[in-house]
Amino acid sequence: MIDRHTIDAVLAGDQAAWDAMVKRLSPLVWSAVRAYGLGAADAADAAQGAWLRLVEHLPGIRDPERIGSWMFTTARREASLLRRRNQDERLVPEPVEPDDRVDAGHAHADPALAVLTADEGRRLWRTVESMHEPCRSLLRLMAQAPDAGVRQLAGRLGMPTGSYGPTRGRCLDRLRAMLAPEGMP
Amino acid sequence: MTPQPPDDEALIAALRLASGNDPVPEHVSAAARAAFALRLPGAAMARPVAVPAPSGVRSAERARLIRFDAGDLVLDLEIDPADGLLDLAGQLLPHPGPDARVEIRTPRLTESRALSPAGRFAVTGLPPGWFSVVCHRPGRSPVATVWTRIRP
Repeated sequence: MIDRHTIDAVLAGDQAAWDAMVKRLSPLVWSAVRAYGLGAADAADAAQGAWLRLVEHLPGIRDPERIGSWMFTTARREASLLRRRNQDERLVPEPVEPDDRVDAGHAHADPALAVLTADEGRRLWRTVESMHEPCRSLLRLMAQAPDAGVRQLAGRLGMPTGSYGPTRGRCLDRLRAMLAPEGMP
Repeated sequence: MTPQPPDDEALIAALRLASGNDPVPEHVSAAARAAFALRLPGAAMARPVAVPAPSGVRSAERARLIRFDAGDLVLDLEIDPADGLLDLAGQLLPHPGPDARVEIRTPRLTESRALSPAGRFAVTGLPPGWFSVVCHRPGRSPVATVWTRIRP
């Protein structure tokens, strides 16, 4: 995902190498924060947080292979915190404790990392296309209209607003099962 | 190690990423590129630690206290929202020396402050969002708090 040469240049202070890394990882970070249902401003805030964390953890980078996974995890954590804080009106400082090292990632089954390759993206969507309704349409619409609200999505799917959330949950459960490697429970 | 199955958000992220219908806004990418200028090679990291909450005080108080600990230096930071902006008042202990100075950084601006004899500093009217406080000490490596987000 990110090669050793790029990382070495970033660690040496090369802005162009950093820009290249940003270009490569930005879509991943953005999709991670947007998946938490954040509006544009909050999503931008969470994404920026993830990049600031990477900047402060740069000296800890040893394994370039891990950066994508670390950034995905970090962006998700920032977005999740922000979503939680949005339900709480108080002033809330958020001194999150990030992982110590960029290498500290775990073995991930995160399909978002896999779909950075076009083949995996196509495979994911072939799986969705093989699903029954309403899941096929729901997941398609959810991906195509990231800014649409629940009411709008439910309306376009012809279902009551209150049904959208639970239905989406069931469709994601089904997709998760279909994507599970053979032999996994 | 058996990988965990992806949660809902990971699946949603993957579907959106693969469909390419939610491009990264240019200002988000620009902010990410600009973040590189904020790196501080060699800085020691000051991490948030729990502070004992004053008894009987709940969210009615406006100001909040965060303590950051870098091992040989502790920063107590009081954050007070005023008219949508934030006032910060801090104290470094032990005093890092007469030539030390403090930078209060946000992604867009940096404010520099000298320290009072008691190790105090203050900055007013900061925009809500990400900030970090850096203490520069001549002859020693700087100390920087982890980036922290505050909202009014």
